[in-house]
Amino acid sequence: MSELATLTFDGPAAELRLNRPEQRNAMSTELLGALHARMDELEAKSSPPTVLVVTGAGKSFSAGMDLKQVIIEDAGGVETPRALLASLARFTHRLRLLPSVSVARVNGAAIGGGCGLASVCDLTITHADSTMGFPEVDLALCPAVVAPWLVRKIGAGAARRVLLTGGVMTGARAHEIGIVDLLAESGDTLDDTVGSVVQSLCSGGPLALRATKELLNTLDGSIDLDVLLRGAELSASVLSSDDAQARLRARRK
Amino acid sequence: MIRVEREEREGVGVALVILDRPEKRNALTPGMLTELVSEAERAADRGDALLVAGSGRVFCAGFDLAMCQASPDGAVMRLLLTGLSDACRALRTLDRPVVIAAHGAAIAGGCALLGGADVVVADRGATLGYPVVKLGVSPAVSVPFMRQSAFDGATRTRTLLPETFTGEEAARQGIVHRLEDAADAVLDAAREEAFRLAALPSSAYAATKQWVNTLEGVVARRDDERGLEASLGLTGGEEERARLGALEFGGPGGSSGGGPS
Repeated sequence: MSELATLTFDGPAAELRLNRPEQRNAMSTELLGALHARMDELEAKSSPPTVLVVTGAGKSFSAGMDLKQVIIEDAGGVETPRALLASLARFTHRLRLLPSVSVARVNGAAIGGGCGLASVCDLTITHADSTMGFPEVDLALCPAVVAPWLVRKIGAGAARRVLLTGGVMTGARAHEIGIVDLLAESGDTLDDTVGSVVQSLCSGGPLALRATKELLNTLDGSIDLDVLLRGAELSASVLSSDDAQARLRARRK
Repeated sequence: MIRVEREEREGVGVALVILDRPEKRNALTPGMLTELVSEAERAADRGDALLVAGSGRVFCAGFDLAMCQASPDGAVMRLLLTGLSDACRALRTLDRPVVIAAHGAAIAGGCALLGGADVVVADRGATLGYPVVKLGVSPAVSVPFMRQSAFDGATRTRTLLPETFTGEEAARQGIVHRLEDAADAVLDAAREEAFRLAALPSSAYAATKQWVNTLEGVVARRDDERGLEASLGLTGGEEERARLGALEFGGPGGSSGGGPS
């Protein structure tokens, strides 16, 4: 099961890779369990990597929550989706509090919770043609776990427009509104852009980076786990509605 | 190293405060920051708007790092960080309008000063940024002010990634508010802004500025202090001493301010 997320080290940098490419790296209970296990390994290190790149195997970054596991009749009750959302909430919190500077390498589609995962990272990098966005409302769902991260990242006004209008956008548009911090021209140059950012970050003093990140987290409320867990409860209750469940079942067919 | 020229048009005054150390790209000394605060207060007492600019080719290259290097116990760096935090706060809380003409470059401490202004004018190609983590210095001191003008994602990127960025990018992120095509057009554009704001009804301007400050939490000093403490926490430490000590300065009259170029 652990191969659902891989962790590799390269000098002062590490890479955490979602490794479920045949399901577009959709976050299932098992995949999130693997991500938490990799996070255990990172947190246990006496000297954490300066930079952690987060990315997806295959063509997608992450398609978001595994929607099969949130169909209550398949999941055997509401407890599975509730636990799944709480697990996502806790993982985003752990990623943000990691002393390493995190860089999302958005190699392809980052949708819903996947786009949320990209937004939690300290820096988000993609290419102009990737697909990003929060289409939860289109599916009668509520992106409550990732909303706090988006509000922090781009401000409440812009987050309101993104979350309440749903749909998806190009990487270029996501850069315009601030979800993406650095944009590569195309998928071919993404690794050059990510490589130079990682190199630049690794040239910084680790203590200076850590002190700066800690202050950013303190001032923008990132240390607040409770709001994320409340978000998980809200999201679970919205997806339990008859409307949401009917739409999820219809998508399955 | 600070020069003040008072300008008046139709009874409206603007105090042009010039960082005047062009041979060092206006690198900031503790004394310059103290003078900036006292000149700002003097201008406001006269009812003038404040226009801060730099002489020579760039607005400001940041702290005088040669001075910092010559003070390995961190005493100068402490004075500079504290002076910078005080200056940003003084500009932010001044009742009168504050405009900064950031032509050419505003690096590190020079970029941090922009967080104190009501309006920042720069050229599209200006070089901005906080590359100080390379020196083992945390730009945390700038974070509380920067996040009041830019969104938090931009603040995070700009303070963690030790790279410079253009005036155009800074405008997209809310750090710069008016762009000019050429660096030599910045001062005149900023002067226009300063006179326009100076002519507005002063009590309404002061009340509105202080109310926005209250909403942003500027008046509650806690965040500023946290930022300053986070930066001071590294000062004189091993990482900073080693990195700052290794810094080599350019040729005669070259840069002594800002991050490594």
